[in-house]
Amino acid sequence: MGHYVVRRLLQAIPLMFIISIFLYGLVNLAPGGPLAGRGSSKRLNPEQIAILKRQFGLDKPVCVRYVYWLIGNDWNRPVGEITKPRAGIFTPIIECLDPRSYLNAESPGIGKGVLRGDFGNSFRTRKPVLDTIKTSFKNSAYLMSITLVVVAIIAIPVGVISAVKQYSIFDIIVTTLSFIGQAIPEFWLGLILILIFYVWLKNPLTGDSLLPPGGMYTQGAAFSLIDWTKHLILPVTMGVVGWVTWYSRFLRSSMLDVIHQDYVRTARAKGLTLNKVYFKHALRNALLPLVTIFALDLPYIFAGSLYVEILFSWPGMGRLYYQAAIDRDYPMLMAILTLITLVVILSNLLADIVYARLDPRIHYD
Amino acid sequence: MYKKITWFTIVAILVLIGLLSYGCTKGTVAPTVEQPGTAPTEVAAPTTVPEKSQITIVIAEDPPTFNGAVNQSGFDILVMELTLLGLADLDEEGNAYPELAAELPTVENGGVVIDEENGTMDVTWKMKQDIKWEDGTPVTANDLVFTYEAVVDEETGYWIPGIDYVDGVEKIDDYTAVVHYNAIYPGYLTQFGGYLMVIWPAHYCDAEQGFASWDCGLKPLSNGPYVLKEWVQNDHLTFVRNPNYYEQGKPTIDEILVKIIPDGAVRKQMLINGDADLDMWTSENIVAELKDVPNVEVSLSPVDRWVMRIFFNLAAKGTTDPVAKPHPINSDLRVRQAIQMAIDTKTIAETFWFGYAKQVWTEFFRPPYNLCDVPQPVYDPEAAKALLEEAGWIDQDGDGVRECHGCTTGAEDGYKMEMEFITYSEYGETLDLTQEYIAEKLGEIGIKLTITRVEGTVLWESTENGGIEQSGNFDFDIWDDGYSGSDPTDFLWGYYTSAAAVPDYGLNYGRYLNPEIDDLINQAYTLDEDLRKDLFCQMATILNRDLPELLLFTTVDANAHSSRLQGVQSNANEIVTWNVADWTLK
Repeated sequence: MGHYVVRRLLQAIPLMFIISIFLYGLVNLAPGGPLAGRGSSKRLNPEQIAILKRQFGLDKPVCVRYVYWLIGNDWNRPVGEITKPRAGIFTPIIECLDPRSYLNAESPGIGKGVLRGDFGNSFRTRKPVLDTIKTSFKNSAYLMSITLVVVAIIAIPVGVISAVKQYSIFDIIVTTLSFIGQAIPEFWLGLILILIFYVWLKNPLTGDSLLPPGGMYTQGAAFSLIDWTKHLILPVTMGVVGWVTWYSRFLRSSMLDVIHQDYVRTARAKGLTLNKVYFKHALRNALLPLVTIFALDLPYIFAGSLYVEILFSWPGMGRLYYQAAIDRDYPMLMAILTLITLVVILSNLLADIVYARLDPRIHYD
Repeated sequence: MYKKITWFTIVAILVLIGLLSYGCTKGTVAPTVEQPGTAPTEVAAPTTVPEKSQITIVIAEDPPTFNGAVNQSGFDILVMELTLLGLADLDEEGNAYPELAAELPTVENGGVVIDEENGTMDVTWKMKQDIKWEDGTPVTANDLVFTYEAVVDEETGYWIPGIDYVDGVEKIDDYTAVVHYNAIYPGYLTQFGGYLMVIWPAHYCDAEQGFASWDCGLKPLSNGPYVLKEWVQNDHLTFVRNPNYYEQGKPTIDEILVKIIPDGAVRKQMLINGDADLDMWTSENIVAELKDVPNVEVSLSPVDRWVMRIFFNLAAKGTTDPVAKPHPINSDLRVRQAIQMAIDTKTIAETFWFGYAKQVWTEFFRPPYNLCDVPQPVYDPEAAKALLEEAGWIDQDGDGVRECHGCTTGAEDGYKMEMEFITYSEYGETLDLTQEYIAEKLGEIGIKLTITRVEGTVLWESTENGGIEQSGNFDFDIWDDGYSGSDPTDFLWGYYTSAAAVPDYGLNYGRYLNPEIDDLINQAYTLDEDLRKDLFCQMATILNRDLPELLLFTTVDANAHSSRLQGVQSNANEIVTWNVADWTLK
């Protein structure tokens, strides 16, 4: 297993490299750019745009910018005037292949590059993107991990009971609710939750709304566990609905496969109680594929949920990414996408490892 | 046993991540900005602590920084107005008033000296002597010079309106400085103030970091009515009253909480529920909804700024030279006139804009230049059809779309009257419906429009990045723009001069070339108000004759607020917090 993990980690390096090239190209070549709309009445002329481009590091070809993004440009030294190739359709390719393009004409850069942990400065705030991501990540991880735990707490028993009581009234109700839950648009559900719990329902003692419409806590108030919990209820509920329906349906299906197998029948024949048979013997095997899916969903903890964060004013990664996309904040976009890629790769590896640990039939070495 | 532990380990890890994040989140508050120099006051301790007054402003986005000139998101300007002052600002009528300045410099009071021979001018700013930064340091002419030098720094500076006309800023004494202009610049009053600019503290900001990037843009040193106390990224900002604010007894509200609430429906409901006191930039549909809600009021700007307008591309799509390659449809004035006649602006204003849009048909609809006699266009689709027939656009094949049969634009015989109609997606439903309605109306007179919506960043980018407008890659489109303050000269230059028709050098996207207009706009760079009024009316007549753009209606500048919050005045020339020091709580 150790060899397998090392091999996968080594394989991840070129994979990350290739993905980062694609991401950098897509982000930088997408229509629009960070300079649109800058200047009063958008009246910046090419000379002023050139100054801004230099400030943002956009004055170099994309390939050069990628190299700087990867390994930084603080190694550069001023080399004086560099003759540019004559403009033509092959200019970008010529510039990329010409080593002189990677040198600075006037001043050395200050970027260290992502390989040394420097993801650059945000075009929006001009400050290091990692500082901003750190804060948003904590907020998203807080919300999403609690959401996933609640999903597990609800989905597992519901899925098991649905399976063992197949075609019962409970199963029919759960199945119906599952379809409804999957069909409901997430954003609409959030609005309805706000309508019910913020607009309609009031605390009979204080007359205040039963639950707050958003945010992580009441600003300016002393810390209170009740306050933080109240702020969690609606966003967690909105996040949980879709996932619970998906997970419970999956577990039901997996459980149905297992409970009709011989060893379950044997366990029952041995006189074990139904609870022991289902929850101790059958569930453990039925959970195997679910654990894999659970591990694959771990990146959501990092990435957050855009709809939930917008509707409930949650200052997390989803909103940060959305804002960066609107602003064409390339350093921020690249940092978030690169980190999400990394988390996805590691989650896949984790899923494989966990699966092998849980299922003795799986061997990687 | 191991399998069991693994499963529960995953759940335990998740709970742990949540709890750790929960613990960490409490500590994610941005470093509290201390209030240096807050002078201790010798006041007898009150027997009871008075309850502090607090209001909550809800806005859609986190401000990028406090430097409104850089990103111009509006949210940065909102918080900038709470904390920082410029030399002069603009009131709701568009009139300038002094902030840091002791008085407004004019020709009459000797503050402006014009050199007619060289076409230059010097503006002397005398500053108030009783204004201090929050650390107790006086605000002086050094700060003005420092701000100017930071703006014009070749490496780290940032372009601001009118700065091309400034040759230098010279300190005369601690509270006097002269701005040397290389031209006559009518917009000089808001050069270092107004909507976008403030004065930055020389002793606090790091010039090496640059105007657009300095840390003091994130942790400003206040000289305004409020001081930043706390900024929790993407969540909220807290401001407390500046005890050293120069206007005695102001501001009266102790604390302002600015909350970031991205969803408009939630912001509206918070206002109705009493959990917010001010919703910045309330849209027309929300204004209509809030009209009869108790405890909520809506402040409308008395002067409108943003004009929804149609831009005709006079050059063929994808080109930028209207002489060499005229647009096969738009280049005929009669077509543009027909389009104007076929758009029912009144219905649009009343239906989709809930009656808050006002019809306009000239750039000169705002005081003090609303003196020109420009006839209001009449909605007359039948006359529009007749005009199109006259122009050689006839539907001979009966498919409802006209074709060129004798048109004079250079289009081939049989060329279909079909065009792409673009707008930007960020504005939202009201503009979307307007676009669809116009397409429908023009379809009724035989002009087929294909609707396209793109991001603003794609529409307005430079040619190098494929910007649709700058590349001339459109037939005609609709969006809004207008100018802040009372001087339209720069705005007119940007939209109507030939120089601004050069790709990336201006906003004359339609490539309207008229030497007469160029000359009139150049002449308008004068401080002779009578002459300017005359020039602007001449321009109004020509623009109404040539129709390079089709002005339709103004959009509302509204801010909804709780009834308990008094003194809020929407200001199309500024952001709603422009007069925050005057706000009171009922």
